[in-house]
Formats: sequence, C-alpha cells, structure tokens
Amino acid sequence: MKNFKSVLVGGLLAATALAGSAAADNIKVGIIGGISGPIAAMAPAMVDSAQLAISQVNEQGGIGDGQKIDVVLGDSACNPQNATDSVTKAVNVSGIVALVGPHCSGATIAAANSVTIPAGILLISPSATSPEVTSLDDKDTVFRTVPSDDYQGRALARTVLGNGTKKVAVTYLNNDYGKGLAESFKAEFAGNGGEITDFAAHEEGKASYRSNLAELAKGGADTLMIFDYGDGSGLTILRQALENGFFENFIGGDGMKSDAPIKELGGENLSTFLASSPVGEKSQSLEIFNEAFKAAGGDPDAIFVTTSYDATFLTALALEKAGGDKTKMSASLRDVSNGEGEAILPGEWEKAKKLISEGTAIDYKGAAGDQNFDEKGDVPGTYALFKVSGDAFELVSEMK
Amino acid sequence: MEIWGLLNYAIFMATFIGIYALLSLGLNIQWGLGGLFNAGIAGFFGVGAYTSAILTTQPVDGRLGGFDLPIVIGWISAMIVAMLIAWPIEKICSRLRSDYLAIATIGIAEVIRLVIKSEDWLTNSARGITQVPRPFGDLPYFESQLAYLVIVVALVIVAYVLIERQLKSPWGRMMRAIRDNEPAARAMGKHIESRRQEAFIFGAAFMGLGGALFAHLNRSITPEAIDPMVATFLIWIMLILGGSGNNRGAILGAVVVWIIWSFTEILTDQLPHEYAIKAKYIRIFLIGLMLQLVLRFRPEGLLPEPQSGTPMPSEATGQKTKEREA
Repeated sequence: MKNFKSVLVGGLLAATALAGSAAADNIKVGIIGGISGPIAAMAPAMVDSAQLAISQVNEQGGIGDGQKIDVVLGDSACNPQNATDSVTKAVNVSGIVALVGPHCSGATIAAANSVTIPAGILLISPSATSPEVTSLDDKDTVFRTVPSDDYQGRALARTVLGNGTKKVAVTYLNNDYGKGLAESFKAEFAGNGGEITDFAAHEEGKASYRSNLAELAKGGADTLMIFDYGDGSGLTILRQALENGFFENFIGGDGMKSDAPIKELGGENLSTFLASSPVGEKSQSLEIFNEAFKAAGGDPDAIFVTTSYDATFLTALALEKAGGDKTKMSASLRDVSNGEGEAILPGEWEKAKKLISEGTAIDYKGAAGDQNFDEKGDVPGTYALFKVSGDAFELVSEMK
Repeated sequence: MEIWGLLNYAIFMATFIGIYALLSLGLNIQWGLGGLFNAGIAGFFGVGAYTSAILTTQPVDGRLGGFDLPIVIGWISAMIVAMLIAWPIEKICSRLRSDYLAIATIGIAEVIRLVIKSEDWLTNSARGITQVPRPFGDLPYFESQLAYLVIVVALVIVAYVLIERQLKSPWGRMMRAIRDNEPAARAMGKHIESRRQEAFIFGAAFMGLGGALFAHLNRSITPEAIDPMVATFLIWIMLILGGSGNNRGAILGAVVVWIIWSFTEILTDQLPHEYAIKAKYIRIFLIGLMLQLVLRFRPEGLLPEPQSGTPMPSEATGQKTKEREA
C-alpha cells in the first residue's frame, strides 16, 4: 500500500504543477473526440472544424473583454472507459466551462452520467445520434447539434414512400448509428404501407458483402436502403451492389452523403443513388461554413464537421451570453438559438458579440441546420434528399 | 476549486483503478495461480455488466427486464452468471494447452460481444442499457464519487483477502504445483482438470463483478465498453507489469498502468493542437513499450511471486519455465 500512496501523491503533485502552468485568464472549453478508436478516420476533421470556430471567436474579439478560448483536447476513443476518464480530467483538472463532445453515443451517455451532469457542466455532442441520449436525466445540461436518428429515419421513410417506392430491402451497420436509423425507418415505412423485404445488419470492415447482398436481393425489391458510412463499409456495399447488379436504386442516410463514393465509383455510375442529409433553412449558412472551412484547409463534406462547428460556435455564444457564469450556460444556450431574434450565421462572431452586449436577442442559424433545441436538448433537424450530379451532391427535394 | 477538482479527479481515478484491480485479481487467479491464459476478459466483464444492468433497471419495453432488483443482488448475480458462463467454456477448453486456450477465449469473448451487440430482446443491442441505478447517485458530485470509491475499495479488499486466503491454503499450493509441473502433480494423484476449472470459474466471478461495478459507475453500459483493448489487453499488461502470481502485484499493476494511461493525456494536451491529436496514439505505444521493457528486464513483474518454503533446486527450473511462458 506504501507504493500506492507514493504513486498517488506523486500523481497529484504533477497534476497540480501542470494545472498551475496553464494561463489563468483564458476560458477553457473541452473538445473530447473519438481520436483513437473506431471513428479515428472521422474525428480529426471534426476536431478541425471545432477549432475553426474557436479561432474565429478568438480572432474577432474573444469572450467578454477579449478573453481567449483555450481548447482542452481529449480522446474518448469511442468507449466509455476513456471517455469518462478524459472528461473527468477536462472538467476537474483543466477546469473547462463547457464540453463539445464526446463523439460517440456510448461515450456521451457514460461521460454525461458520471461527470458532466453531476458537475453541472454543459455538454453539446456533435455526433451522438442515439435516441437514448434524449432520455438522460440531465438537469438541462446535455444538448446535441445532430438530430436523433429517430427524426431522420422517419423523415426518410416518408419521403421514400412519397416518391412511390413501396418495396425496399434494408441493410445497416451494426452500431448505434446504423441501427437507430434503420429501426426508425422501418417503423415509419412499415407503418405507412411500405414493404420491407429484408432487414439485416452487417458488421463493419469486411472485404466482401456479396453474400449479404445476395441474401438481401432475394426478396425482389429493387431499392436498397444503406444505413452506413460512405467512407467505410457503406462504400464497399455500394460498389459491390453496383458491380453485380443486385439492386437498381440506392438510398442512404447522412453517413452515406460523403465524397468517397463519388471519388471511388465515379459520379456517372451513381445516377440511381440518393442520400438524405440535414440542411439549414438558410442554406447560406452552409455555404459560408464551407468557404471558411476550405480556406482553413478542411474538407467541408466530411461527416459531422458542420454539427461539430455548430456545437462549438454555440458554446462560444452561450459563454458570451452567460458572461462567464458556468451555472447559466444552459439557459444562455437556449437564449442564443431559439428561433427568435436577429440571425447570426457561422463566423459572424463580432456581430453576435455586439448584439449580445446591446441586449438584442440573437438566433444562430447553423451550418447543419437552425439548431433550435427542443425541451430535451435535441434538434429536430431539417432534411433534404440529395442526388449525385457530376462530381458533387445536388439537392433534389426537401424532406418532410 | 483547483484542489477540489484534483481531488475529484483523484477519486475518479482511484475508483477506476479499483475496478481494474478486481479484473486484474481475477486474471491473477486464472493465470498467476492456474497458468490459464484467458484472453477473453472482456467477455466476462461484459456478462457481469449486462447481468447487473438488466436486473437492477426499471422495466423497459423491447428488452429483457429490467427487474428493478436491489443493486447488491445485481452484483452477486453478475458474479454468478459470469461463473455459469465460465463453466462450459473451461469444460470445452480444458484440454487445450495455454496458447490454444488463449485463442479459444479470444473467440468466445468476441462471440459474447457480438451477441450483446446484436440481440435486441436481451441487451437492447447497439444502443445499450441506460438508467442503471448508481448507489448514492443522488448525492452531489463529490460525495457520490467518494461513496462509490468506498464501495469499490471495500470490495477490492474483500476480494484480496479471499484470494490471499485461498492462495495460502492447500488449494493454492496445489494450484501452483499444477502450474509449475503438471506431470508431477498428476503423479501425486491431483485432479488437474477440476482444479483448473475451479481457478477459471473463481477468476471469472471477479471479472463479472468488475463489469457490474463499471456499469453502475457510468449508470449505463453500451457494447463499446467491451472493447478488447481496454477490457482485455490493458488488464493483461497490468498483471504482467505488477507481477503475476502476486495479488499485491496485480493491484499495483492496475495502479501504475492506469495512472500512466490516464496521466499521459494531461501531458500530451500541453502540445499544440496538431500534435495533440497524434500524441493520443503515443499512449498506446507507451503502454506497449512498458510491457516490452518489463518483460525484457523484469519478467517476474514489479512485485514477484512470493516463494514460500525452502528453495529447492527444482524450483529454479520451475521458475524458468514460467518465465518462458510469460
């Protein structure tokens, strides 16, 4: 036990030294992402877009009387063990006032339950899509800028039915994202007279999905719903289904609206491929973000970069509104994005800062949507259906 | 605030170390005492976590349970179910030599993980189980963390005392005899298969308990938690580094490895943003490097297995065999 004590004491001393060395007057915001682990390919772009928001805020006057925001970057590794560990450190050692992340649903639920809710820290996840996040007993501290899978799946089902497709096969990635989308799609689609010939999960990272596809094609549907990521196994499925002619039409969720299929398969081969994705009512917001993110060296079509940017920018707005008072963060967040007030577009920090100081109500119109939170801290999300045109996605229709 | 924050972090870290110490102690019974190479710790961890979560949550539509039972019953059941799962596994695999047992247990842990991830009616599949009650969870942040730490530490102490007693009993001596020289033990009429089975099941019970404690700490359990990296290999490193065969070594290993794992992140966060992302991987590298160094320079671990009785010439050879195996 002696060893244990000396290690613990040594650890505490080192932590004190580290905590003491950080600049005292800057405000700290945590960004906890799935940097190592299963979404390692997506996380860097998400962190970069969050950084973009932070640097815009810092360049345009910072918080309050010019205080800068410092980022505390943590790794959730997409699992609850590392997520709770790094969030505990961010909250207690680094002293963050708000948290953007964690990226994965399981990590978000665990970190919220064991750290941020008891500590009363605002948490905004840009990519936790599980419906379970809605039901957290969170004392109004847990928010997300990405709609719950429930919304998108249902909207997509209504749109597919509205377009006259009554018979589909469904394949989904066996994780909370794919499954959540697929389940809500199924409920709405089957409930309104659609027929699902086969409903099957697939595991990620396999070299071939031909046997899965052959099985799915047996039911005789000519449309395949793919709930997966377009730069992962979703791409493999799409390629192999096209090569072997298993299906004629393909419809994906927002994960499939990635540049990877267009680059890998060629736009001319994807004339029957549609993907849904959340859009802002003012699509101008998205364009502004795209320009800014491209200028900063990022890829604006990467998954969840818009929601990640919005979450960070909203955090900064709430900080400004709350005047640095940690306990007012949730209320302030609702104030700056409730659909009423002067519109603030991505990057318009100076304008927002001025309006807040004048006491004018503002309303942030995000790159990924309007981001008006409901009472559970979820965003309803507005969706549109996209098709491939040339080497880019083109909006087909709004989804209701 | 600073001091309270550090204290909060220290308590959280100690709670985590306690949970990992239980897993490491469980593995010590299997590997340190019994010489059974279990590479499927995550499986028993998951079984324990889900068992307790299903039994103690409120009833929910669409999956088994919850049964809203007291937390203590959930924890005891987690141990029992982990033991029940361990029994047939060991029954099937008992004839396999150490490396084949490792392969078989990895496979079984993966089967358990996929079942948990896919079966809606049982575990709510990929979405996991939330709203798991946490003892003293209604207290403020600091107090509730402290209360949980006390529970975990108490359980680790109980586990330690139990295992230590078992180790010093004839059963423990028999286990070591079997591990170090199987033909000799067999020649003396010891029933090797049953003893091994006991060690495997006994160890699995603590792994199940560790899983249950983890689920209640986070008030939720999702399939991502049953990741082999953090729920199998990290524990192996803890035991090897601390000293397999020595219970105090198992606990010390959990302390050292988790502190390094958790602490290096604070260090890497001081780096500029573009390096900080890359530096996250250094943690994994560091743990691997540490294992290499320990195996090269101190294969018996930080706290080696205590050798009781008069040293005999044969014991030196026995020790060597063990080193080779490790």
